[in-house]
Amino acid sequence: MSLSFNLIKTSEKSLRLGRLTLIKNHEQKVLDTPNCLAYTSRGCVPHLTPDNLSSIPLNGAIIVTLEHFIDVQPPPSTQFPYGIHKFLNFEEYIVFIDVHDPGNLKPKSNNTDKHVSVYTVHGVRQPDIFASLADNITDEAPSVKRVKRSVDRTLRWLDDAINHIKESTQVFGVLTGHKNQEERIRSAQETAKRNVAGFVLNGKCLGSTSRECIDILKSSINHLPSNKPRLAYGLGTPEDILLGVSEGIDLFDTSYALEMTNAGNAFVFSLDIKDDIDSFNRQQIISLWDVNYRNDVRPLLAGCQCYSCKNHTRAYVHHLLNTHEMLATSQFIPLHGIFQEY
Amino acid sequence: MRSALTWKVIANCSTTKAKVGILTLPHGPVNTPVFMPVGTQGTLKGLTTKQLEELGCQIMLNNTYHLGLKPGQELIENFGGSHKFQNWNRNLLTDSGGFQMVSLLKLARITEEGVEFQSPHDGSTMLLTPEHSMSLQNSIGADIIMQLDDVVSSLTTGPRVEEAMYRSIRWLDRCINAHKKPESQNLFAIIQGGLNMDLRRKCIEEMVKRDTPGYAIGGLSGGEEKDIFWRIVTFCTDQLPKNKPIYCMGVGYAEDLVVCSALGVDMYDCVFPTRTARFGNALTPKGSLNLKSTKFAQDFEPIEKGCSCLTCKTYTRAYIHMHATRETVGCHLITIHNVSYQLRLMDNIRKAIINDEFPPFVQNFFKELFGGKNNYPTWAVNALKSVNIELLP
Repeated sequence: MSLSFNLIKTSEKSLRLGRLTLIKNHEQKVLDTPNCLAYTSRGCVPHLTPDNLSSIPLNGAIIVTLEHFIDVQPPPSTQFPYGIHKFLNFEEYIVFIDVHDPGNLKPKSNNTDKHVSVYTVHGVRQPDIFASLADNITDEAPSVKRVKRSVDRTLRWLDDAINHIKESTQVFGVLTGHKNQEERIRSAQETAKRNVAGFVLNGKCLGSTSRECIDILKSSINHLPSNKPRLAYGLGTPEDILLGVSEGIDLFDTSYALEMTNAGNAFVFSLDIKDDIDSFNRQQIISLWDVNYRNDVRPLLAGCQCYSCKNHTRAYVHHLLNTHEMLATSQFIPLHGIFQEY
Repeated sequence: MRSALTWKVIANCSTTKAKVGILTLPHGPVNTPVFMPVGTQGTLKGLTTKQLEELGCQIMLNNTYHLGLKPGQELIENFGGSHKFQNWNRNLLTDSGGFQMVSLLKLARITEEGVEFQSPHDGSTMLLTPEHSMSLQNSIGADIIMQLDDVVSSLTTGPRVEEAMYRSIRWLDRCINAHKKPESQNLFAIIQGGLNMDLRRKCIEEMVKRDTPGYAIGGLSGGEEKDIFWRIVTFCTDQLPKNKPIYCMGVGYAEDLVVCSALGVDMYDCVFPTRTARFGNALTPKGSLNLKSTKFAQDFEPIEKGCSCLTCKTYTRAYIHMHATRETVGCHLITIHNVSYQLRLMDNIRKAIINDEFPPFVQNFFKELFGGKNNYPTWAVNALKSVNIELLP
């Protein structure tokens, strides 16, 4: 198996167009970047059945969380004879795996060296790419000592992972360092020395605004080689994604679309952006719970080509939310939301 | 009275009372015997109308009581009815709203005027009359609408049953008078009379005089003895005219559908297949599988071998086990399979009748579902015997 990343076009700023190519068993899967990895929960894109999923141009990559698979031992996916792609009905997709849920980072700052036990890619069988285990700090203001330890530990785990991983799986190194610039740089430089196929930047719990978060991540990005892809967690709003792209991030996950869906919110932003990104502050979402949509015969977003917008009104979605019918949050809004993210 | 349907029987079973018909309604044809899935609040929980169409569903239920509360009559009227509101271009049937009042609301009180109940919104006293039910159903715009009937529990005995039966006839007259759209909506009468054949006979005599486009058998599936249930059903199908479709309300278990079809029923509805799906239960010809059970954790077969539904074509039982009752996708996938199972069962019933192979079909169906003679429910054995089918050992 081989994974290659080619930059097709770069700008003087940090903007970049790239292509990730995976060749496995003589089959080629391609992912053009910048792009999103579709977020999954227990191996399904939340709420969407495969027919509906296929109506969204997902572009071919999903992110699977190991945590979701290990509550049953042995995890069924490890016993299934034909591998994780077929088990999850994602045969056409590049399957990226992380131990932790990128959309739901629970406090794990009390990590110890014992966490190495989760290392073996245990719950799923033969993903294409996996993120090494990271000692993510979720405290607001950790001590410098704690940050240093997390960088050291994450690097040690990465080395272990590289030593133990099967040839058929590629490893992305996770960058840590919290808000400490020196440690972020050390983490980036040290990770870049290792045999990794790409990098994961976790923007969750860093900074209260998109700009603040990106600025922190930037101190890592500046010390990464340009020829490997960079995946960011926690950058989900349209504004986040635009800022991330402008700073050279190639891949994002769609957990934000799920978060919005579960809240009954639909994206209504327009991608016709002529303004400066920092002033991108037009209305981005509407809440379908709002009683003002009770009589609204318009689609969620005029002109949108997703199934929900082509077939249904805001009033109907409001009715479904109002009557606690799962069709709303479980098909229409995610169909629209994920569609919009792409 | 005026009718907005045509009903043509295209095949009769030479052994039983089973028949195949084509019921043509304003939103297209319906092949009978038909099972109608229930989309209570203007949605079959979790499925898109496109998915329902792809499953071959020709008619779905909506509940008047629920739609009347939310989104409310005025809004649904403004949208041009429930078909447009939910973007469903095939047929709909609505109930009268009366059953929900009695079953969901403890404080309902029935008078000659209508069903009195406390509003779940503000606790104020409200009254559902036959006229109000017709007005709501005319706004919702379903292809088949049901009269408001005086529903009593099938376990009730004594004069209350008779009173309810006669009142249902009086309310039918009021419904006929109040019905504003007989040219596009078919009003069905509902036969009442509890478990008493005489009352049922009287009710049928009176209601048939009103000549509604179809007839429903009401007041059953409420916990009565199954051996009495089937006798009432077969009595009603004998008494009712042959040129009208017969709808047995609230029936949806597979064995009930097969037996009642043998007794001459044409239409059914029930929340069971879709509700049980949300609890993680998948229906198969060998019975129900509780996919939450850990015994499916490593089971890499589809729910039902040979089933052509999206779920069975795509996923294993182990995958669905991971999601059942945890992810909405688990609900959707099992709901898709269960609706597919019900509709396929009806399709197989129709094919067997058309080929005049219905008795062996029934025998094989029971053998596969129950395993053999010792497990057959007595009521089903008796019911089938009454229409000349002996089950296999």
